[in-house]
Amino acid sequence: MSEEEAPDSRVCIGVSFGNSYSSIAYTAADGKTEVIANEDGDRQIPSILSYVSGEEFNGNQAKAQLVRNPENTVVCFRDFLGREFKDIDPTPCHTSAHPISQDSTIAFNICDDDSGNAHPVSISTITTRHLARLKASASDYLGRNVTHAVLTVPTNFTPAQQEALKACAAEAKISILHFIHEPISSLLAYDARSPDTASPSDKNVVVVDIGATRSDVTVVASRGGIYTILATQHDYDTAGTQLDSVLIDHFAKAFLQKHKTSTDPRTTPRSLAKMKLECENVKKHLSLSTSATFSVESLVSGLDFTLTINRSRYELLASKHFQALGRLVLAGVTKAGLDPLDVSEIVMAGGSSHTPRIASAIAALFPEETRVFSPATDNNAVNPSEAAARGAAIQASLIAEFEEKDIEESVHAVVTSTPHLEATVGLVGAGDSFLPVVLKDTPVPVRKTVTVAAPKDGGDVLVRIAEGERAIDVTVAEKVEKKTNGAKTDDEDSDEASESDDEPEEIRKVVWKATKPVAEAGVAGVKKGGKVEVQISVHADLTVHVQIREVGGKGGVRGTVEASS
Amino acid sequence: MPHTFTLPSLPEGWSADKNFKAIGSLSKPSQRIIEPVGPHFLAHARRKRHKRTFSEDER
Ligand SMILES: Nc1ncnc2c1ncn2[C@@H]1O[C@H](COP(=O)(O)OP(=O)(O)OP(=O)(O)O)[C@@H](O)[C@H]1O
Ligand SMILES: [Mg+2]
Repeated sequence: MSEEEAPDSRVCIGVSFGNSYSSIAYTAADGKTEVIANEDGDRQIPSILSYVSGEEFNGNQAKAQLVRNPENTVVCFRDFLGREFKDIDPTPCHTSAHPISQDSTIAFNICDDDSGNAHPVSISTITTRHLARLKASASDYLGRNVTHAVLTVPTNFTPAQQEALKACAAEAKISILHFIHEPISSLLAYDARSPDTASPSDKNVVVVDIGATRSDVTVVASRGGIYTILATQHDYDTAGTQLDSVLIDHFAKAFLQKHKTSTDPRTTPRSLAKMKLECENVKKHLSLSTSATFSVESLVSGLDFTLTINRSRYELLASKHFQALGRLVLAGVTKAGLDPLDVSEIVMAGGSSHTPRIASAIAALFPEETRVFSPATDNNAVNPSEAAARGAAIQASLIAEFEEKDIEESVHAVVTSTPHLEATVGLVGAGDSFLPVVLKDTPVPVRKTVTVAAPKDGGDVLVRIAEGERAIDVTVAEKVEKKTNGAKTDDEDSDEASESDDEPEEIRKVVWKATKPVAEAGVAGVKKGGKVEVQISVHADLTVHVQIREVGGKGGVRGTVEASS
Repeated sequence: MPHTFTLPSLPEGWSADKNFKAIGSLSKPSQRIIEPVGPHFLAHARRKRHKRTFSEDER
């Protein structure tokens, strides 16, 4: 088969390549998206390569080598791609193959052949090999050679990083149709299955992606199904690895209490490696069950150790991390110029978003109306470990038939760079009420239609179009029942439920007011109980066309408002 | 909120040519990047590349 295949013989998958895990997905012609298991049966494939006497291991088989063969096991390389050694933080590789500086890029000093000697293997080579394994797994499963992919990347991946990744993919014989941002991909996975895909509602969404080595918050304006990123926040200090550490410390201390003269298992590389693997398992179990058991044979000095922990204990131990994640989310919302009241949906992505308490802690920072999509807060949630790969597969199926030139043109700034409304445009009603019609942060051109009530007795009616502003009205309620929002809490160790029950609670609510008049129109002789339909079209140059008619009536009013010069 | 919204009656003496008058204009927009992802973006890109309007696009 030639590399230059016609679009119809392409096999195009979605790939989420994380620092810690990768997943691959495929959207079939019938629109069903499936996350593909590799030959070990894993859908979350550790982004790890390990070499034993020249033999290459990938995924969970490579991860198991972290105990016996850490120096030839390469982990956590995605974010190093396309960067210089002086710019990276090698911390996540402390207990495995170390990154080193090579020319202007990065390499790992490992023995990947049967020579027995370590030598630098470039990060591009490592990445290429990993992508080749993913391609092979997908091709195996689909029974057809995968030729193309849509790959997800973080929002702060630089053009140089994308170039480097693209080159690695090409080496692995995968043509990248295009890169899409991880949070947008997760959002697409949700929106593609929502019932209003044809005319999606306007909403502000926060995508919270909590992985193993990083947590990313992305605030997105979604307008008619078009996404604009308003703000991002990145945190490399609070994610799954830190949650593992909470458990490592807990079990290490318990072990030392039982074996007072033993060495600390955290100080022996091999014991620490065993603890890391087991604690990650325990942590995952605690997302599903209210208790889990740590059990390692020969943890240190030949001593076995087994101990059970319950979920509430873990939640207490990790609570400062959960709170930090909550602050990260709020910081993103603030950076976007929004208030929690402006957020309609929260999409929880990344493996750590399985943790029930993380989802409920974040939910508690938002009003009850805000929908939080996570396994713990919504029965129909997409698996957060799979969301990015699923979205990429959906995007792949949308553009699989396109010529590469067309895709390139579409993602070009000429098409993507777009004026967005600075203020909400709406109608001013009786009593100076304001009805938002086209929300702030909507890309133009845009067209919206609303149907509103005329005065009860009908007659001649005034339609006022104006820009408006959302304010927040705060009142203090005397006594309010504390809401728990989402996942139930175990009563034991629950430090939150008991507190502040009798304190007055602030009730915050959105109030809109008109700020700047734009146009007025009169509609004559509206019938009793009649309704008026108003269509507002804002053109790319900010010219406004208005079309108003009585529902069921004839005629109507039209007018144009020129853009300011 | 939309349910309670009611238009006011036309004030006494209000008049305008063809019953419409522009009073102001929209605030200056901000230039932002839209994400080239999803079915609705593709429709947008089509319109933009072919310089088509919404209603032309619907034909
Ligand atoms: N069921 C679960 N409960 C709790 N944590 C989980 C669960 N499943 C996976 N995780 C954690 O999620 C993290 C992996 O997240 P993800 O799969 O999103 O990886 P990633 O994007 O490659 O991570 P990063 O790039 O941040 O290193 C790991 O810390 C893992 O232990
Ligand atoms: Mg990730």
